[in-house]
Amino acid sequence: MNHHDRSGERLSTLMIAAQGGDHGAYRALLSEATPIVRRSLRRRYAFLAQEDVEDIVQEVLLSVHKVRATYDGRRPFLPWLFAIAHNRTIDMLRRRSRLSRREIAVAEYPETFDDAQTNISDDGYGDPQALHLAVAGLPRGQRVAIEMLRFREMSLKEAASASGMSVAALKVAAHRATKALKAALAGGGDGRD
Amino acid sequence: MGATDDLIEQLAGQATPVRRLAPPWQRALIWVAVSLPPVALVVLIHGAHKSPAMLVADWHFVVEAIAVAATAVTAAIAAFACEVPGMSRRWLFVPFVPLAIWLATLGQACAQEYALLGGQALAVREDSGCLLPAIIGGIVPAVAMVAMLARGAPVMPRLTLVFGALAVAAITNLGLILFHVGDASIMVLVWHGGAMLVVAALAALLAPVTLTWRRVARD
Repeated sequence: MNHHDRSGERLSTLMIAAQGGDHGAYRALLSEATPIVRRSLRRRYAFLAQEDVEDIVQEVLLSVHKVRATYDGRRPFLPWLFAIAHNRTIDMLRRRSRLSRREIAVAEYPETFDDAQTNISDDGYGDPQALHLAVAGLPRGQRVAIEMLRFREMSLKEAASASGMSVAALKVAAHRATKALKAALAGGGDGRD
Repeated sequence: MGATDDLIEQLAGQATPVRRLAPPWQRALIWVAVSLPPVALVVLIHGAHKSPAMLVADWHFVVEAIAVAATAVTAAIAAFACEVPGMSRRWLFVPFVPLAIWLATLGQACAQEYALLGGQALAVREDSGCLLPAIIGGIVPAVAMVAMLARGAPVMPRLTLVFGALAVAAITNLGLILFHVGDASIMVLVWHGGAMLVVAALAALLAPVTLTWRRVARD
């Protein structure tokens, strides 16, 4: 029995336990499956950037969570996992190709009006490091809300399902997080509740 | 990798027990068990043209009915198999065998009728007599199929829905062929075969908006 088979068998055992509601087994499964998916994506889609690989890995984890009931413990685990990973990668590449057909990359947006006063000068994206630190300093609920809704662009429903928070709680947390970040980035305190 | 680790923590916190999906063949049998009674009811209400004893004696009818029933069952198995990630694709070819047998029996009957009656045997008339029973009989199989498909993984949404639609069309057809005993085979081939194709094509068009990762049903 080679390493691949052993790893597949262990993941299969963990998934069966996770289907029964075992949190520890599920955590172990996702933690051990993540590097396998990451490696497979890097090998199979070598052209993908590091951050794209990470985005897809997260999509795969969310998808595994959604359809974990479709895993049959009598069947090998890795083909099940790789089929989801491949499917989500193709979805992302298609989405990207659709977007790239509709959008044109420009270095700077053209001015929209002749009158200079009507145009707002572009201040750039600010300091990403400061934003990263400000987000890291948010309370957990607010950080989760801002990461899922703004950074990963998940819908409220998806974020609610992934985070276990209600849609209303997510809205409130995102609103408070935005206020807190504005205040933190403007140097006006951390704005926590 | 911080965000990925956070996500793992969040998902691990939601490891609620899930009811494992039964194998595709078992799900197909459940679907048949749910779908057959309404189809049978429609046949009973609208009345078959011949008695069961006479139908069983007609080998052509028996072969046709078995082929249509087998198409329904194998197409349902294929639809459910499409939704299990990593499942062998062998299942996807199986429905084409009974489907081909059904079309072949109709083709052979058309040829026989042509030899007997000439061009008149191939005349296609408008016949909407079985449209209403088809719609009524097809509602429960269709709703049951969509509800069951919503629990799977949408890794091949188009193929899944095409096979699902084929299964629904075939099981409804199983009831409808009773209305057409004695009718010209070309009529059955054109109207029923055509309806199956139309339903499958519509399903393929609808797949990208119906079977999506966003809409996976939970327990």
